[in-house]
Parts: sequence; structure tokens; C-alpha cells
Amino acid sequence: MSDNSNFDAIIIGGGHNGLVCANILARKNKRVLICEARKECGGMVNNEITNYVPPVTTAVSSSLGGMQVNYLSKTTIALSETGQHIRLVGNQHIDHKSISTFSSQDADRFNDFHEKMSKFSKTLGSFMMASPPRIMNNSFSDYFKLFKLGLNVRLLGKKNFNEFARMIGLNIADELEDNFENTLLQGLIAHDSVIGSNLGPRSPGSLINLLYRMAIHNNSLFGGIFQIEGGNDQFTKHLIEKCKSNNVEIKTSASVKNCIVEDDCAVGVELINGEKVYAKKIISNVDPRSTYFSLLGSQNLDTDVKRKIKHHRSKGRVAKLILDLNKLPSFNNCDDIDLDSRMVVAPSIDYIEETFNPSKFDKLSLEPTLEICIKKDSDQNPKLDIQVQYAPYKTDQGWENVKENYIESIIKIISKYAPNINECIEHKKLITPDDIELEYNVSGGHWHHGEIQIDQLFMMRPIPGASQYKTHLDGLFMCGAGTHPGGGLTGISGKNAAKAVLDDF
Amino acid sequence: MTQDLRYSALKKTPFHSRTSMASRTNKYYNWNGYTVVTEYSTTELEYTAARNGTSVMDLTPMGKYEITGDHAHRFVDYLVTRDLSEMKDNTVAYIIWCNEDGKVIDDGTIFKFSSTKFMLCCAVKIYNWLNDSAYGFDVSISDVTDTIAALAIQGPTSCSTLKKFGAEDLEKLKPFEMREYKIDGFDILISRTGFTGDLGYELWTDPKNAEATWDNIEIAGKELKLRPFGMNALEMTRIEAGFIQTNTDFMAAEDSLRPTRMRSPYEIGMGWLVHLNKSSYFVGKKALKKEKEESTTERCLVGLDIDGDKPAHGSVIYNSKKEDIGIVTAALWSPIMKKNIALASLKRPYGIKILGNEYLKITT
Repeated sequence: MSDNSNFDAIIIGGGHNGLVCANILARKNKRVLICEARKECGGMVNNEITNYVPPVTTAVSSSLGGMQVNYLSKTTIALSETGQHIRLVGNQHIDHKSISTFSSQDADRFNDFHEKMSKFSKTLGSFMMASPPRIMNNSFSDYFKLFKLGLNVRLLGKKNFNEFARMIGLNIADELEDNFENTLLQGLIAHDSVIGSNLGPRSPGSLINLLYRMAIHNNSLFGGIFQIEGGNDQFTKHLIEKCKSNNVEIKTSASVKNCIVEDDCAVGVELINGEKVYAKKIISNVDPRSTYFSLLGSQNLDTDVKRKIKHHRSKGRVAKLILDLNKLPSFNNCDDIDLDSRMVVAPSIDYIEETFNPSKFDKLSLEPTLEICIKKDSDQNPKLDIQVQYAPYKTDQGWENVKENYIESIIKIISKYAPNINECIEHKKLITPDDIELEYNVSGGHWHHGEIQIDQLFMMRPIPGASQYKTHLDGLFMCGAGTHPGGGLTGISGKNAAKAVLDDF
Repeated sequence: MTQDLRYSALKKTPFHSRTSMASRTNKYYNWNGYTVVTEYSTTELEYTAARNGTSVMDLTPMGKYEITGDHAHRFVDYLVTRDLSEMKDNTVAYIIWCNEDGKVIDDGTIFKFSSTKFMLCCAVKIYNWLNDSAYGFDVSISDVTDTIAALAIQGPTSCSTLKKFGAEDLEKLKPFEMREYKIDGFDILISRTGFTGDLGYELWTDPKNAEATWDNIEIAGKELKLRPFGMNALEMTRIEAGFIQTNTDFMAAEDSLRPTRMRSPYEIGMGWLVHLNKSSYFVGKKALKKEKEESTTERCLVGLDIDGDKPAHGSVIYNSKKEDIGIVTAALWSPIMKKNIALASLKRPYGIKILGNEYLKITT
């Protein structure tokens, strides 16, 4: 290894996981450099891409020495064309009351359903927060971790154990149709199960997606959804401030070309401008595909590893439409407090499934599923931030040719709930998955750097043999959303990666 | 109803009209989806031709892959365990290649025409492996098995035969060198390579030229004890030469269903082909380095010299406690050495040092 290791660690990519990882390493007296390709750190946690965030766990915040940001809890509204919206806040009594106006049976069942799901998400969550075992290691502690998960599941009791086993591969639509009669409620929960993923409500495995989402949102269906006071970028700003106080060096506009490999070990990075920086450990916050094929280079990979990374699914399916408004639109049967809520357009399971179908063939659905968020800063005009589910990564006609049409179809859907929306719009901007890929250097433009599905979770995330934040190259680690437990703006990947790196020093 | 199976039957090689005419036994063998002759007359006669005259064998079914492109040299060096960075144009190298666990997939020969054009020859089909490995390299891989007809011309008089056939100055060709000839208007590539351990050449040409080549070689070798040579005789010569055969002495890692059947290069006597100090990475390097450093090699392949005349096909080898310590993978009574010999795969430390009283039971 080279002697001129100026830094203990270099982190490639200043997204939130990179910032968390950098801070934890710096607090252990490591000299850390962050190389960020864009002009500013933060990655996809900003006011443009992010609508809502889960709370940061106490484990993450305490390892950072506390997080001083204020979380504002948000209500979720399932919009109905008839104005009979469902409002849920994650409180047992309030939600029960809200649902019982439509169906008292659903209200009771919702509580049972929520309790069951919450129990399962807690069981899964206990496994999610720590570094996953590595099945190819044959080490005792790794088997013990697996055993512990098995034990936790078994300790749920025989009835729950059977139920857990039944549900783990199930599709969410079946489960919802078994429990509820109200299609709007079904649609809302189904929407939250498939959001950000490449699955429809009737795709096997869509249920585990919901459990995963609940595990990072306080084990609650609608109770753990937050915005950060002053804008979601406050989260990033706070982490950057911490970096400064911990003496982490940050280089922006510093795009890394590749890792420098000496003697089959990563010893540094080479920037696009030719500058070389050396360090003892290199940590990639970039998605797995780019980490392996661009940073590590395919000439340094075994064939089997190439195969696995090539098969790693990371095509994004979510677009973002941002509408600049001159005034707030009026939504049917919604008051001012409602406008501060998370509004979901997913009237039924079938509606979502119909939206999903064309995306399988890289085609657009002109009646997409939406999550609407109104952002109003005091000094600026309000904005409508709309997350559009099932926008294909690439369309068969080319995004450029269909963008206008697509935007209009989305606005048409919104006008069903807010008839005066057209008068309010001043400017429209659509960010497609391939825009995200280009702007944020995420191959596939996937929120989570890779699908959250059972074959790409836990010790299989991102690929078997590369879990536990290590890559196939000694000295190169991963800390991004592509690693366990995955995306969702939790910072857990960054925290666990920091531990793995520290253990390796 | 009778189904017409002709279209799904084994393919015939471009030499088939000649090999089938020469065969008196009608014994055929399926090699990579082609029909090849197992035995023309008697295996012993064919073997004798290889050792005392010239033997001709149809090699066409051997997997042949052309690797072309700007990164061809870099890619080949990355694919195999041997350090090929210094390989010269118009030479051939014996190679093995491994998977990520450092287990051998196959052995073969690589032909270098220039730094942008190579040809790989091996026993099993590996097109997918090559293609997947080539991801990220500027190379294209094409399977040329069907478009190149190949013959092995082996034995002490093979050089004279080929010179009569029209290959001038062939005696100047050193082992593992190759040269392109133009004979009767066709391009013929001759390499000094083989699988018998004797003087020998391999000949590569257009399938259209196959029958004429066969006929002309037959004429050229008429007074040089030339004889066609089947798979059985090849098996005899290669065991005598100590050459290993994929899926006989070890299982190809890509085809093996049980991980315990896979072998690392160190377990089949191929450690000399693994250059861990090669400056660039190669497939399996990490695993092989670990195996070497931690001395976790479990088995070894050894040559055995056995009492008695009976070939020890498939025999089991025991230690003094009657525990099974290995198996014979290939065996014969060697006519040239007048000895009963075999290749055997043993559990280490057996085979590395003699512990005493290991014995073999011939059960066949």
C-alpha cells in the first residue's frame, strides 16, 4: 500500500449516507474526505426530489451526537372524486373514527390489520437496523444473527409464525381484499406498499415492501411520515455542519473517475481532472452498479460478480412533477389543514394495477398513481410536488417526445380533485427516472439504488458476497442505499458501513 | 407416428464422409454435439500409429472461439490464470481458467495472431462464460467451432507427412508456434501442438477444404505409417503423456453440480499455470491467492505406477486404516512403457508425502 495516504478514508458521494458515515468516522478521529460530483452535497435529500422523510432512528442520531432538526408529522389523505376523502394520521382512535364513517367493519379490521403488520415490521426491523449476516462466511456470529431472526419470528407465537410465513411472499392486494371492503382504503394502503418499487399490488412480494416501509416509519402505516421544518434540505445542511465541526473535508464538483487499485487493494481515487488522492479506506456511496463497473472497473471483477451486478435490478419507476403556482388551488372538500397533508391519488387496487401494467412494457400510463405534496415557503410562491408512480425508466417513444403529453395527463387527473388547478400553474417541470440518473449519478435513477425486493434484501443486498458493506475489492466499502437495509433516507446504511470500516482499520 | 429426428440428431463434421469411410467398427462418440469415431479398426493399432508413425484425428468438435477487438490481449490475460502479457504473435499457449472460487472450468490452448486477434480452443462449450467475462472489455467473441475444420496430425513421422503434404520448412516450427500456409489455394494454419506427448501438429482450415486435405494427407503419409486415430487411442496417449482431461480427471466448475467435485488448479497439478504475481487481476485470483496463502488445498492429482497388468479403472485407494483416500480417474496398461499406470485424485496429505501402507484395490 502507498505510504502517501493523506486520509484515513475517502467517501465517494456526499449523499446523506455518505455524510452520516463521514461524521461517525470523524468522531472516531479518522481523517475523512468526501468527494462529491455535484456542486453541493445532499444527493437526493433535497427540496426537489424528497417529499416526505421517515424519522432518523435514535441509533443513528446518537452515533452522530444528536440531530437538531424538527420533524413535522403529516396526515395522509386518500383523495376521492366524490369528496369522501379518508384522512389517516397513525393514531388508533382517530383513524378508527375516520374509517368508520365509511365502514365500521373496515375501521375495526384496520386496527387489527395495523396491529398485526406493526408486530411483523418490528420483528423484521430488529434485523434491519444491524449489519446483515454474511451467508458465505461460515462465521458463528453470522449464523447467530440468522438464528436470532428465526427465533424472533418463532417467538411471535405459533399463530403469528404461520401468519408471517404466509404473508412474506404474498401480494398486498389479496391481503387487503381479504380484510377491507372500501376500495379507497384498499387503494391507499396498496399505494404505500408499491411506492418506489417495480411491483404492482398484485405482484408477489409486494407485501414485504409494506413491512419494510413500516419498519423505517416507526412501525406504523401512516404515523411515521414527516417533513423537516424549514425544508427537507435542512437535514442535509445539518449533516454538513456536523461534518465541518468534525473536520471532515468536503470537495464538491469533484467527480471520481475510478478507484486506484494497487496489489489488488483499493488505495485511493482518481478524479476526472486527473488529481489522485490516497487513503487507507475507500467508501463508495454510489449505487452498486456504478461502484462495481465504474469505480472498481470490470477488469478487476470475477465473471460471476459481473453477472450478479448485471442482474441487479435498479431501474427507477418514479417521476417527479413540480408545478410552480401563483396561488393555492382549492381541492374539493379540503380545508387549509388538508392542504398541508400528504394527498394520495390511488382510488382502488385495480386503478394502481392498471397504471402498473403499461410500465412493464416501457409504456406510459396516462392515468397514473400520484402522491401530492404542497410546499409553501413564506417568501416564495407555493409549489405542487407530485410523485408519479410507474413512470418507466425509458419509454419506447423516448421521454422527450412524450413528456408534454404526460404532464398534461397528470394535471388532468389532479383537476378531478382540484378543478381550478390549471389557473394556478405558472411553470411545469417533469423529472423522469433517467433525469434522476443523469442529475444525481444514480444508474437507473432508482430512489433506493436498487429494488427493495426479497431477493435484493438483507444478506443479498446488493448482491450475495458483497453484503456487510464490503465490496469484492479489499479496501473498498459501500455505504449507499444499495446496501442493507436500503433506501428510505434513514442513514442506517451509512452508520452500519462506518462500523464495518472501523472494524477493518 | 414416427417423428423425424434427423434435424435434432448429432452434427457431422466436415470430415465425416472420410472418417465414416475409414471406420470399420461403426463406433461413434458424441463430442460437443458432433459424431466422432471412437475406434476405426483396433485401438492398439491406432495407438501404435501415434507412437511409431502418423496418426490423424478429427478435432473439429473442439470448442473454438475467436476473440477480436482492441482489448483482446488484455481480456485474454484477464480470463486465464497464466501470465500472458508477454505472449508473442503466432504462438500458442497452454492455459486453464477458473471461476470466482478459483475452481477450474477447463483447460485449453490459446492462439495469438496479433494483439487484437486470438483463438481459444477447449473441450467444453464456454461461449456464455466468455461473453459474460468480456463485459466491460472492448472485444467481440464468436463461436467458430462450425466454421473451422481441424485435424490433429500426431506421431514421429507427422512432420515428414505434412512436409510432403506441402508444409515447407515445417521442421523449423518450434513447440507452441504456429504458421499460416497456403496449400492448394486454401489457407491452412499449422500449429505445433497436440495431446499425445509426441511430436505432433494441429491443422486448421476452411470446412470446404476438409475432404481434400484429408485425402492429400492420406496420400502424403502413405509410406509413413499413417492411420486415422479414434478417441480411445487418444485417451491412451494422453494418459501416458500425463495430460489431464476435463470431466474425466476433474469436473468443469461450470458443469459441476456438487461443489465438492470442483477442483482448484493446485488440486490437479496445474499450480504452475497460476501466476499470482501477475500485475493485473484475473478471474479467480482472489480465491486462489487465499488458497495458496492459507494452504487450504484439499486434494492432489498424482501419477501411479501399479503392480500387475490389470488397468486400475475407477479403483479406490485406501490408507492403512482402510479409509478411502482417493480414486483413480484414468488408467491403462501402457504399451510403450510396458507398465500399468494411472492418474489418481487423492486427499492431501496423501500424494504429497508418503505416510506408509496406502494401497489400491483393483475392483474392475
